[in-house]
Amino acid sequence: MVIVKRKELSFSEKLYLPEVLRGLSITFRKMFEPKITRQYPEEALETTEVTRGQPRLVVKADNTIACVSCGLCEAACPAYAITIDGGETDRAIEREPVRFDIDMLRCILCGFCEEACPKDAIFMSDELELADYSREALIYDMDKLKRPIAALQHRIDYVKRINDRWQTPSST
Amino acid sequence: MITWLEEHGWMEILVWIVKIGLIFGGLISAGALMTLAERKFSAWMQYRIGPNRVGPWGLLQPLADGVKFIFKESLSPAGANKTLFRFAPVLAALPAFLTIAVIPFSHDVILGGHNFGPIAIANIDVGVLYILSIGGLSVYGIILGGWASNSKYSLMGGLRASAQMISYELTLILTILAVIALSGTLNLQEISAGQKTIGEWNVWSQPFGFVLFVIAMFAETNRHPFDFAECEAELVAGFHTEYSAMKFALFFLGEYSAMVVISCLATVLFLGGPSVPFLPEAHWLLGFGAFMAKTSIFLFLFIWVRWTLPRFRFDQLMRLGWKVALPLALLNLLVTGTFVSLNLNLYSWLRSLV
Repeated sequence: MVIVKRKELSFSEKLYLPEVLRGLSITFRKMFEPKITRQYPEEALETTEVTRGQPRLVVKADNTIACVSCGLCEAACPAYAITIDGGETDRAIEREPVRFDIDMLRCILCGFCEEACPKDAIFMSDELELADYSREALIYDMDKLKRPIAALQHRIDYVKRINDRWQTPSST
Repeated sequence: MITWLEEHGWMEILVWIVKIGLIFGGLISAGALMTLAERKFSAWMQYRIGPNRVGPWGLLQPLADGVKFIFKESLSPAGANKTLFRFAPVLAALPAFLTIAVIPFSHDVILGGHNFGPIAIANIDVGVLYILSIGGLSVYGIILGGWASNSKYSLMGGLRASAQMISYELTLILTILAVIALSGTLNLQEISAGQKTIGEWNVWSQPFGFVLFVIAMFAETNRHPFDFAECEAELVAGFHTEYSAMKFALFFLGEYSAMVVISCLATVLFLGGPSVPFLPEAHWLLGFGAFMAKTSIFLFLFIWVRWTLPRFRFDQLMRLGWKVALPLALLNLLVTGTFVSLNLNLYSWLRSLV
């Protein structure tokens, strides 16, 4: 057991008023210091490449998506947010999704889909705002998920850089 | 009635109605603006911006709050004493509205050669007594609200508040008594008229009484550091825990109006009311502005202290009230009384010593 002795107040402290005035002078000075409030809707949040926002499908420069509907992201998703139906295509990759839905109400923004994807087709964007008037509207289909590659490039570069860092020379 | 009308004339009655509208409307809007000022200043002291969404700089926030209060559901607890529960907020707000009547806000208003008298609803010879007796009723609103709610938090808040207000009322009255001894009148208009120049302000002859008055004034309005009526950390919200909607708003309005009134009283008693520093013969409008400015200083002090100091412990509050403030106020009165009865002027006495 530790017995902490209470500090005896000095005479000026017992008078209260000098200490009160000291406290008042502090709060008065603080009134004029810069404010730290962020006016959120007007002042957007700062996002960096590390920001893990909502997942988006990459649309490549030739206007096609890289996804081959392998279903790895669907399997990796811990929240069962992704639903994929695969179909055939004449393109060299032979398969593409006919349906790619992400239920944004289920999505926990964990980024497992991004890690699981073997074709670099899905990446976490820096889009964070999610609001709508119905649950149905928050199940995003392919059209809503598609983003041009330029919009996601800084995240793609970041993920590649991080992955390269752990790769040993023998495995490459 | 008819003879009374003939005696006073329509003009005088119209002037009265205008004055009543002006002062009463001013009091209500000042109370409403105080809620905004409280939030703004507290925000600035905490590096925040404060309400700024409704109107420019959030100026319409009190209006939005008022509309919200009107549309809120008015709850009342199952075991509450319904009559007293409804009556308490009225009783809490009423004293502040009544006491504003005797505060003189300016010198005689002279418009187009007519003298309309000072901006004050009533000029009664026992103005100070009137304020103290009506103001003393506000404790009933709080303790009735606490008791009628049938809730332990409310009751505790009400009891604490009443004990505190009764203890500090003594200090308040004794300091006011010292001022009365100096000015020799209970009429607030005469008290303020007796402090024409800045050198005659009672704060210089009663510096000690002024400090005690300010301390007692904080306790009387249940403001930090003496807000035992509310005590958020211990009693949820104190006496108004069970109140909602307009009943709660009335308690709020009453609290802020009481602050406005007691600030006005402090201005009249100690800061010379409408006297403008270094301009003894100033225009009445300037005097009115000076009164408002002095009152605003007190009102700002209320907010400033609230967001600076922690709350006292209840035994500390009682010790300060009974063992420190009351003896000091008595001593102050004794010294003042001695000077007055010996017909000494402290200022000239000090001058003669030098």
